[in-house]
Amino acid sequence: MLIQSDELLNFLQRCRDRSLGSYRDVYCPVWPAARDSPHAILSPLRGTDRPALDGHRAVDPVKLLFYRVRERVAPFRADLAASLLTGIKACDVRALELLDRALVNEDFADPAYRAWRERTTVLSFDCTDAGPTCHCTLVGGKPFAETGFDANAARFGDHYYLSAATSKGEALLDLVRKNSRVDTVHNTIPAAVEARRAEMTAKVQKQSEAFARSDATALLRSAPPEGWKEESAACVGCGACTHICPTCYCLILNDESGPGDFVKVRSYDSCQWHGYARVASGASPRPRIDERFRHRYLCKLVTMKAEFGTLGCTGCGRCTDACPGGIDFRKAVHRLMANAEGGRPDAAAR
Amino acid sequence: MKPNPYDAIPAVITETIDETPLIRTLRLRPERPLAFRTGQFIELGLPGLGEAPFTPSSSHFISDSLDVTIMKAGFLTDHIHKAKTGDKVGLRGPFGSAYPLEEFENRDLLILGGGCGLAPLRSLFLTLLDEVHRYKSITFYAGAKTPQDCPYKDAFPEWRKHPKVKLVRAVDVVPPGETWDEEVGVVTVLLAKLDIDPSSSPAVVCGPPVMMKFGTRDLLRLGFREDRIYLSMEKKMYCGIGQCRHCLMGGYYVCKHGPVFTYAQIKNEEGLWD
Repeated sequence: MLIQSDELLNFLQRCRDRSLGSYRDVYCPVWPAARDSPHAILSPLRGTDRPALDGHRAVDPVKLLFYRVRERVAPFRADLAASLLTGIKACDVRALELLDRALVNEDFADPAYRAWRERTTVLSFDCTDAGPTCHCTLVGGKPFAETGFDANAARFGDHYYLSAATSKGEALLDLVRKNSRVDTVHNTIPAAVEARRAEMTAKVQKQSEAFARSDATALLRSAPPEGWKEESAACVGCGACTHICPTCYCLILNDESGPGDFVKVRSYDSCQWHGYARVASGASPRPRIDERFRHRYLCKLVTMKAEFGTLGCTGCGRCTDACPGGIDFRKAVHRLMANAEGGRPDAAAR
Repeated sequence: MKPNPYDAIPAVITETIDETPLIRTLRLRPERPLAFRTGQFIELGLPGLGEAPFTPSSSHFISDSLDVTIMKAGFLTDHIHKAKTGDKVGLRGPFGSAYPLEEFENRDLLILGGGCGLAPLRSLFLTLLDEVHRYKSITFYAGAKTPQDCPYKDAFPEWRKHPKVKLVRAVDVVPPGETWDEEVGVVTVLLAKLDIDPSSSPAVVCGPPVMMKFGTRDLLRLGFREDRIYLSMEKKMYCGIGQCRHCLMGGYYVCKHGPVFTYAQIKNEEGLWD
């Protein structure tokens, strides 16, 4: 289905107005009021907002909506109102696929995350641009989503090509069809969309070239200690990287019960913090900053891959953007992998 | 629909027993049954203050009440030591792996423990005693820093009377003014007197990391098999269900895949004894 970009924007605004009656909330990356800011912020869509549907991913990871910084999880009462999450890009869709496995599985279901996912329709958008730290192609991703969304919008000249992947996505497209002017096209992806996607993929590949490395990330385990010390030299252990990472979900469970009830609140924790794994005796398995730094890299690139079948890094580049020490995740992994393979970085790049 | 894993079962403190100046046992009556298998752990929370993982110290055959032995080590446990009979706590669990009792059947079992590691071992020991006909013998070596630091003082004389039980205690030091008529030295020195066949016997070890490390080393030297040394690992465990990721040790979550592991399972994991 094809829809003109203005028509789709108009539809999303009307979703928010609730005149269509289907979604109570619409979440979307929006341009902040300061017009010169290049950073779109993920937020509830308001009438005055300018949605940022194209371009690359927003500053905020989607977990901020699904898995909040601080949230009561027991007793838990699910909010059942349907909501629409739109404008998110492939790296964030991939993060949702990982969190789905981590937070709702046969052993366990996080009540808040599950409720959010069930009531939310995800309309993802193809990237039409790459941010300076974007590197999805380095971690086996693409700048457009192929799975994990309910519906996807691919930019196509002045139009979007909309396709649904789930029944929630079908319902959304039905709603668009009923309330907007659309052109029905055949179900295969138009050649122009394919061409644009190839162009975007090439762009990300090109800017990632300098950081190329082998896919055998398990080798990181054997990177020498000096390598980790070198890469973490500028790390101050603030935890910005973990808090902004779309797949980090480490939690602290606090008891905030009052008299006569039992209340549990979960909030984010960071493996980069000194007290993270410290036990009552005072012992910590990773007392040094370079050990905690290494733990995070291994978690993203080795442990999560073994656990969930997908890397814990989606190539969004947020950790690099957020690091006050200026540590570039791509560069660090590139060099560590080269060291682990027994060569110098230059050798690995060749 | 899966139950909410964060929901707590309210329990009432029916008795408090001060074992040592730092160790206290709470006897709890949960509002709903909380059936655990010995070796598993629970999360015990004080309303408004927090929760932490503890291993029950009573037999798993007792279902209407539950003992938990807790050492004063920080903010939460200080408050637990101030709790009174009648106070309410919240329990979640049980979580993790249990001691594989079937592997101990018809064998001479060694239990080696120190300090607050004696809490889960008391649970194991009492559970074994409840079905003692299943086991050939139980050698229980218990260590503490000083005579004053020995928990379960009243119970030891009783336990000793059992014909299948050989129970020896050691303290690291006897400070002036205290008396002690058992062994002196770190608990692993007791292994020199062991009179069971190491090659066919299972051994259970629980205690401070340094004791576990050297205890395991000594057991291996004696000829115990790597897959018959059972370790109760301690890591920070907020959630109990492999979600908070704090207890990740190599590829294992201690809370979910442990806390009871064989040495063979985890010997190559990084940070094993840290």
